[in-house]
Amino acid sequence: MGWIQVETRDGVTAFVPGETVEGTVSWQLEKPARTIELRLFWYTQGKGDQDVGVVTAVPFPEPALQDRRSFRVTLPLGPYSFSGQLISLIWALEVVAEPGARTGRIEIVVSPWRREVVLQPHSPAG
Amino acid sequence: MRARDNPFAAQRLEAIPYRLSGPTWEELLDRLAALRFRAALAGPHGRGKTTLLEELVRRLAERGLRTRTVTLREGDRRLSREQRETLFRDLTARDVLLVDGAEQLGRLAWLEIRTRSRAAGGLVITSHRPGLLPTLHECRTTPELLAGIVADLVGRDEAERLPPAEDLLVRHGGNVRDALRELYDFCAGITASPAARTGSPSPPGR
Repeated sequence: MGWIQVETRDGVTAFVPGETVEGTVSWQLEKPARTIELRLFWYTQGKGDQDVGVVTAVPFPEPALQDRRSFRVTLPLGPYSFSGQLISLIWALEVVAEPGARTGRIEIVVSPWRREVVLQPHSPAG
Repeated sequence: MRARDNPFAAQRLEAIPYRLSGPTWEELLDRLAALRFRAALAGPHGRGKTTLLEELVRRLAERGLRTRTVTLREGDRRLSREQRETLFRDLTARDVLLVDGAEQLGRLAWLEIRTRSRAAGGLVITSHRPGLLPTLHECRTTPELLAGIVADLVGRDEAERLPPAEDLLVRHGGNVRDALRELYDFCAGITASPAARTGSPSPPGR
């Protein structure tokens, strides 16, 4: 059975905006892939429709059936990772092998405090 | 509860497959074929018509048919240029046109779809009102259906702590989508449901 995964250097998953993320992508496939690509993106989850923003994609040319490649991507200045009652914004690194849409993914946190910003419900004064 | 942890987040609801009650999928598809693939999925808001249509895409592909889908929103009386391209460009008998929300269309736009779809292998619509095409399936909801969906999303034990499916469906006039949105709010602690206000347990995970 094949697998595909993405790992960050030293297993770090919390970053500040603008920081460079380094890591490796490794895979063992049952069938050859035409393309393998790492994507840095954010998406929303919650009560409403989902929004997605792909920030960058790093292709790995001529992928072998089994391989390991390193990557280096620079995070943008925003948006920050956050969660409220209605919406969460989640950052992720995902590696996708096509055809077949075989994927591996890790979530990361992007914020000045290296923690997800948690929005508290507003309480009216008084 | 954070939005990402809410079991009733929209992305989780979208992943729920249609639960067909009555005919089997095989029977439904045979009936569709008997109607020459020209039929309607009927029912009021929030009964799962769109979910059933999405499932049909997969089932028709298994039978070697290609589908072309357009979705109409409230007030869309005619097709946009892109939607016309999607539906009508280089049509063949292997293409089945799927129109979600056909009741929105004005008379002329509907007649155009009916006429031009003759070059296709079929036309399946969802509609709140019957009569546009023969009804293939009427989407209905029951408390048991909603309870089953809720149990799949949160587990049977957690489901016991939520407002009863029967009350939710009554409150939302049978609209399962709106009932699930109420459960989102309940879990998020945004609003207490009427049941909670009368002394039921507090939302899970809080």
